[in-house]
Amino acid sequence: MKFYKDHYDVIVIGGALAGLSSALMLADKGLDVLVLERHNLPGGIATSFVRGGIEIEAALHEMMSIGPEGNRLKVGKFLEDMGVNVDWLKVPEAYHASLPGLEVTLHPGLETFAREVDREVPGSFDKVLRLLNLCHTVFDSVNELSIHPMSKPMMLLKHEAFVKTAGYSTKEVMDTFDLPEKARDLLAPYWIYVGSGFSDLPFTIFSVLMADYIGYGSYIPRKFSHEMSLKMAERAEQMGVQIEYRQHVEKILVKDGKVYGVRTARGDEIHADYVVSAAYPNKVYTSMIEPISQVPPKAIQMVNGRRLSLTAFSVIMILDKPAEELGIHDYSIFRGDTMDTDALYENLAGLGPYRYLTCICHNFGNPDATPKGTCSFSITTLPRVDGWKSVSADEYDAVKHRVARQMIEDMSRYYGVNLLEHVLEIVIETPMTVAHYTGMWNGCIYGYAHTMEDHIVARLQTAEAEKFIEGLEFAGAHQISGDGMGPAVTNGRKAAKNILDDIKRKEAAK
Amino acid sequence: MKVNGFLKDVGGASRVTKARLAAFAGASAIPQGVDPIGDVAREWHPGKLELEVVSIRPVSPTAKTVRFQKVGGGKLPPFYAGQFISLDFVIDGKRISRPYSISSAPFEARQENGFVEITVRKSRGDGFIADYVNDTLQVGDRLMGNMGLGQFYYEPLRDAKHVLALAGGVGITPFASMAKEIAHGTLSMDLTILYGSVDSHDIILKEELEKLQGEHFRIVHVLSGEEPDWQGERGFLTAELIQKYSRADTSYFICGPQAMYRFLREEIKKLPIPARRIRFEVFGQAKDISAFPGYPAQKKDETYTLTVRRGIHEDKIPARASESLVVALERAGIGIDTACRSGECGFCRTKVIAGDYFVCPENDGRRAADKDFGYVHACAAYPLSNMTIKIPIE
Repeated sequence: MKFYKDHYDVIVIGGALAGLSSALMLADKGLDVLVLERHNLPGGIATSFVRGGIEIEAALHEMMSIGPEGNRLKVGKFLEDMGVNVDWLKVPEAYHASLPGLEVTLHPGLETFAREVDREVPGSFDKVLRLLNLCHTVFDSVNELSIHPMSKPMMLLKHEAFVKTAGYSTKEVMDTFDLPEKARDLLAPYWIYVGSGFSDLPFTIFSVLMADYIGYGSYIPRKFSHEMSLKMAERAEQMGVQIEYRQHVEKILVKDGKVYGVRTARGDEIHADYVVSAAYPNKVYTSMIEPISQVPPKAIQMVNGRRLSLTAFSVIMILDKPAEELGIHDYSIFRGDTMDTDALYENLAGLGPYRYLTCICHNFGNPDATPKGTCSFSITTLPRVDGWKSVSADEYDAVKHRVARQMIEDMSRYYGVNLLEHVLEIVIETPMTVAHYTGMWNGCIYGYAHTMEDHIVARLQTAEAEKFIEGLEFAGAHQISGDGMGPAVTNGRKAAKNILDDIKRKEAAK
Repeated sequence: MKVNGFLKDVGGASRVTKARLAAFAGASAIPQGVDPIGDVAREWHPGKLELEVVSIRPVSPTAKTVRFQKVGGGKLPPFYAGQFISLDFVIDGKRISRPYSISSAPFEARQENGFVEITVRKSRGDGFIADYVNDTLQVGDRLMGNMGLGQFYYEPLRDAKHVLALAGGVGITPFASMAKEIAHGTLSMDLTILYGSVDSHDIILKEELEKLQGEHFRIVHVLSGEEPDWQGERGFLTAELIQKYSRADTSYFICGPQAMYRFLREEIKKLPIPARRIRFEVFGQAKDISAFPGYPAQKKDETYTLTVRRGIHEDKIPARASESLVVALERAGIGIDTACRSGECGFCRTKVIAGDYFVCPENDGRRAADKDFGYVHACAAYPLSNMTIKIPIE
């Protein structure tokens, strides 16, 4: 029985957002693409599940880079251009910050945001707005330069702010604004979406984060992130992409430094000119390339020289009362006992109690998210993989329950309501859950840490030199744009663009 | 845009690039392929394991307990008491899978050469695999099993400390697992089982469970048949009886035949029990799909042609309107992985490309977007016309 064609132009390993974005873009250019996904549905962690008859979002907090209808940002626009029409709902606020001495709900819009901070910290308006405007200028440059590379003198002329801040951390740049401490605190909560303490986080990344989220707000699909994932997969199939679920790719086949196909766990050897891997370079270069002798030492040095970023721990609950009756009033609540991001980053290396929690109540973004009289409420922390690496299979359940209980009790104290007395359904997602369903290396959902040693600007500069095997591209959080569902799409497009450029180059050489 | 103060230098990009290259150059060239978090995930969920039947023992005049160990020995994966195992039976060359609640305890699986047990009652002629297990399966037989599945287990962050189990017939099995784990001291909960049987011969695992009773576990038998000498509770698991064995805060776990589910849903409504305290084990494959409201009964004897795509391969097979798509596939010898066979787990998620179908309302675990695009769980979908579907390649 023959399940596959003799040959594909491209095989994509992993049918999550990055892989599907690659597939869409390649199919759009007429390439013959096969997507192999290990799970029984698309999306990776951009998915949902059903418990007790209630559909529950697995991972999405809020999508960046979507933008309002008629003025879509790059991800929103790409999906529309590809014919993927997601029913986007706007998230009503930026976040509610619950920090020492601060209980504030802030809204998107740079000026709106600055005004709301000013209400809390009088006299800070000008500085905060100036910082946000700087972020926006850098953000514009990043977007433009990612499409139109230019010479350094030209860059300095046209993208001065970007060039001048590129060498500095978020802390270094923020320090020059001389902001009151509380204003600084109110600008920091989104740090967890990029996952590095401010003394090590490139200001470039902070800029993109703030300009995108605060400038344009965020969105969720009406039918959970599964709607987005499934619509991408359906559209890809419509465009001729073959997607096969429950196919686990074990090997990437390489000969003379060039990729020629893959082998799956059930033994199918499938051939292609290009392979796009959502599997981490760590996994690919240590166990998937066949023969392994085709992996150059430099590839190993690269993965050993990078630091894995964050994984995820979420307690997702359906509560048996409407949110307001429990004192929950916001879509997202960011709660910390400090807003010192460097200290919080240290705290994420352990196994709890975690000092910074991110809570989402979907009903405020989508009133129909759960049945009448109930609400969904998730509490998330994004630990570093380090701490969880030491947990054995026999300890796992106890650690998981201990951490989950601490998180629920913390939020119960905050609301003055024992949330444990309202649990209709509960699901605890751990780094191991992520590893189980997606195969992501060490359950790491954030790729490599955004640091001053692994700076996005440097990543862009050296990308060419990091292609160790011809025809092999990577797509996922481990690529240039890093973590997040929006950047996943961007990472996937980049892999596709590399392939399309390579094809063009080869045709030109002919 | 004027950039603040000292940020005058334009060499930032070169500096960070150098830093990155230096970090790589200084890194080890020895592969470090360690994924301990993935390893724990794989230890809990290794997928299908090859298992061997090591013993079969009667646990009532009509039921047997089958013990499995891993071929080659060793520990079995951790699981939660109450979860099930999906076993692949190969009969006449065709693979048919069935879920069974594990009746042994998690600690027994985690020993060296650990084991799992299932307890299966002989059917009244309508349970093909139940009868196969009771009559044909032999010590030494090998089959593939995927264990640690399902949501029917005690969750301390959700459930009351005291669980009143309402069990009927072979529905005792998940509670047997919990009782053993409690007695072993590794599951912290209080369990009272109200176990409904027709007569005392009918009671499964009677001695084994009665022996385990203690401070945290108690079993109460309830007989519905005529049995003059019986000293214990009689009748059905009525609201009155449920009330009698409840504490101030109790969670109710229900596992048994489909008729019992229908009965208990009504009984429970009579009591002031909040929804979060009630948990039903999955419904199981519908006994008679044509009895469900919405099913077009005039079609129940039809047989349609099911076109099955796997990759670029296509087969055409017959499919009865009265049987789920999974059964049609199994009859035709086309492999499809299933687990819960109750529309919940999604293992058999299938794309309907063309044709009409009916989804069993008791077993409709579809996501909203899946409904929009014609994805079904093949164990819970019944053909109502010729159909074309796409399933994963096994």
